[in-house]
Amino acid sequence: MSHLLELTDIAKYYGNINALEGVTTTVEAGEVTCVLGDNGAGKSTFIKILAGVHKHNAGTMKVEGVEVDFDSPRDALGRGIATVYQDLAMVSLMSVWRNFWLGQEPRKGRGIFTRIDEAPAKAIAKEELAQMGIDIRDVEQPVGTLSGGERQSVAIARAVHFGAKVLILDEPTSALGVKQSGVVLKYILAARDRGLGVIFITHNPHHAYPVGDRFMILNRGKSLGNFAKSELPRDELVKMMAGGAELDQLTHELESAGGG
Amino acid sequence: MTNANTDVGVAMTNDSRPGEADERLAYRGLGQRMLIRPEIVGMMASVLLFMFFWGVTRPFGNAGGAATVLDVSATLGIMAVAVGVLMIGGEFDLSSGAMTGAMAIVIVLLVKDTGDLGGAGITYWIAIPISLLVALGIGWLNGTMVERTALPSFIVTLATFFVLRGLKLAGSKIMVDQIQVGRADEGPHYDFWQNIFGSTWIRGDHVWEGRDAAYTVLCLLGAVIVVAAVYQLSFARRPSLNSAGVVLLGLGVVGIAGGVVLTHVLDGTDWLPMLVIAAGGFASVYGLGAWRFSLVVDRGNAALPVDVTRPLMKAAGYVSAAVVAALVFDSADDTNIVPFVTEQGLRAILFMVLLALGATQLVVAATRSTKVSVAARSLVIGIASVTTLLLALFVQSESTSHKFRAELFTQMCVVALLLGCYALASYFFETRTAEDPDADSGARRLAVIGGLLVLAGIVVRMLFAVQAEIDAEDPSRLAAFSIRIVWFLGFAAVMTYVLKATPWGGWVYAVGGNKEAARQIGVPAARTKTQLFMLVAAAAWLVGILLAFRLNTIQAGTGNGLEFEYIIAAVVGGTLLTGGYGTALGAAIGAVIMAMAKQGISFAGWNTDWRFVFIGSILLIAVYANGAVRKVAEAAR
Repeated sequence: MSHLLELTDIAKYYGNINALEGVTTTVEAGEVTCVLGDNGAGKSTFIKILAGVHKHNAGTMKVEGVEVDFDSPRDALGRGIATVYQDLAMVSLMSVWRNFWLGQEPRKGRGIFTRIDEAPAKAIAKEELAQMGIDIRDVEQPVGTLSGGERQSVAIARAVHFGAKVLILDEPTSALGVKQSGVVLKYILAARDRGLGVIFITHNPHHAYPVGDRFMILNRGKSLGNFAKSELPRDELVKMMAGGAELDQLTHELESAGGG
Repeated sequence: MTNANTDVGVAMTNDSRPGEADERLAYRGLGQRMLIRPEIVGMMASVLLFMFFWGVTRPFGNAGGAATVLDVSATLGIMAVAVGVLMIGGEFDLSSGAMTGAMAIVIVLLVKDTGDLGGAGITYWIAIPISLLVALGIGWLNGTMVERTALPSFIVTLATFFVLRGLKLAGSKIMVDQIQVGRADEGPHYDFWQNIFGSTWIRGDHVWEGRDAAYTVLCLLGAVIVVAAVYQLSFARRPSLNSAGVVLLGLGVVGIAGGVVLTHVLDGTDWLPMLVIAAGGFASVYGLGAWRFSLVVDRGNAALPVDVTRPLMKAAGYVSAAVVAALVFDSADDTNIVPFVTEQGLRAILFMVLLALGATQLVVAATRSTKVSVAARSLVIGIASVTTLLLALFVQSESTSHKFRAELFTQMCVVALLLGCYALASYFFETRTAEDPDADSGARRLAVIGGLLVLAGIVVRMLFAVQAEIDAEDPSRLAAFSIRIVWFLGFAAVMTYVLKATPWGGWVYAVGGNKEAARQIGVPAARTKTQLFMLVAAAAWLVGILLAFRLNTIQAGTGNGLEFEYIIAAVVGGTLLTGGYGTALGAAIGAVIMAMAKQGISFAGWNTDWRFVFIGSILLIAVYANGAVRKVAEAAR
């Protein structure tokens, strides 16, 4: 049986810097794969390779068993790999439904009279958000008036609607408070339950642990291994993330921050 | 909301069910929703600037002044709107100023018979489309170079600017051996195209005795519809309609109409019609509310806390100071007492500035009183209403000129009336504290219709003269409205629609906010940016034609250096230099502000060199104010 996404010994060099080396992991449909790592561990390079922004220099990448080599983000999107970046590509002055359809607007009219077909666009956006359990009463309100967690959820719902099979979330909780992070984590589970393979990139093990099915830890461009949830207790995960002398202080900080 | 309700809200969030109170956005009132618009500072600034120059100059506020200011706004505004849209898309075009002159030269050279040098005197029918193609080509080149080289558009278009500047000089010299080209009016079929790009509407040539009646009806109708929209936005709707309210509303409207008729019969500022209008106004205010909206249950205590009384005291101080200033200085003395300013001018400036400061304090008090109780808010707004009315009477008794005695007096009475109505309405009816999308979309439509009606009334009043004005040789009968104003307003309206309603409009915001992320979700980013440069070039083409038909002979340097004025106008109108934020309407308002500043200085008789100082100051103040307001609006979330 082929995996939804399979990476083998992926490496990326920028000049003489080895940004990523020997990274191997798999993503299954209906599972959340968490990629953890501190700043500079290679997380963003990893995302950019998957999203088709950068090409990897070595190793193989397979989508549903077929080896792929993305030339552009459009390529990756065509293969069903959608990325939700931290800044979300949302236009704060535009309404929720316009943002939902941004770049794929349903149209009516011809030539210079082309305009957005509003009624179905609004209805579909509303319906799709509701199915993800996102309750936004008025899809007309500008995205600028939404909270950070709600914006994330709109971006996730958008990716799901446009046929993503693999959903890459780049640090979706890093800018959010504890409660809002909790809401975003719930949407991650909602996307998983709809059969997507989710790649959740974060540096916070307390956010990763409750939702993750498997974990890959990056450190200085190298993988410290892949673990199923059953083989990795939470403490172990935190320890691997932090490492050595910083550990005690960090766990203390994380616990006092009320994470998890 | 009482405290008990808030506690329930908190308790719910602890269960952390999806979409419960703390995740859901807090409800935004009407004021906050207006503050978040990018052009709000520009709108307020244009009103203040207008009032300022209306006070210190003669032509401001009459048709002649309006024609001049709009004429100056037009070419600046067409470019500011296009450049503003380009800036929303995250790019600059420093060649836009030089391009306007270049396009004018191209057209004149095309229609000119330059003998053996090729410019064979082509008809305007062909020259106009050809010059458009040339413009689009330059825009395409700008866009493609920015995309291909990945250099900042600042650099690429700076290069284009110098190239165009050189081409204009060298080209004119080669073609006509001069650094100016003329004459546009010798081209074939000039007369036909002159109607479209160069005609004017002289007010005195269009006499219509029904003008004032049409103006009054349109403005009143518009005002009523706007008030209805404000109700929809402000108050909570009741479950079923109350028919007794409609009757009262009808009686009130009849009263207002009767009062207006009485005003005309009794000629002017008599007390009786004012009272009838006020009574009708209050009856319709209560009737409209009772018909559709819920009554307040708990009005609370009207006692004002210190943080409300303090701004009220300050406001009282400013208003008294304004009154004292008006009494101390002599309104008839038009000698300069400080450089550039006459005593009567200083009196007007002091009076208005102090009143504006007082008004600001009243707004602060009203905002704070909202948090105290319904009764307290109505009390504060009622105080504002009465103060305005007293000031109106003061203005009427103290002023010598008709402008203040009649016009300002009437306007202040209207403001007092509206404030009074709001105090009354918010005392009786429940303020909305929850989202109501249906009411909001209905209200938006009403506000637009009402605003357009008022605008139509003003347009009618500006465009038409009555025989009495012509007989009295009123200077405003000579007001000449140029057709370029129609091009400006039309272009601004079209771009506002395009940004708001078409897919492309959304893409402009997206590529300006984050090009890479926009590309990721399927927006054709490179193409959109190139089209933006072509849009600016097309606008430069339009302005080039307007210049050719106005100036007839074009200097090679025409347009050079104006690119920064376009950028300033867009920024004053709320466009962010970093892209992704702004509106076409804002840029148009920015252009009108700059035109008002320029023309106001010249109308006031000051040395027009001061306009640069003025524009610089406006830029700094507007950008700062835009940032501050955006911060307040977002913090209030």
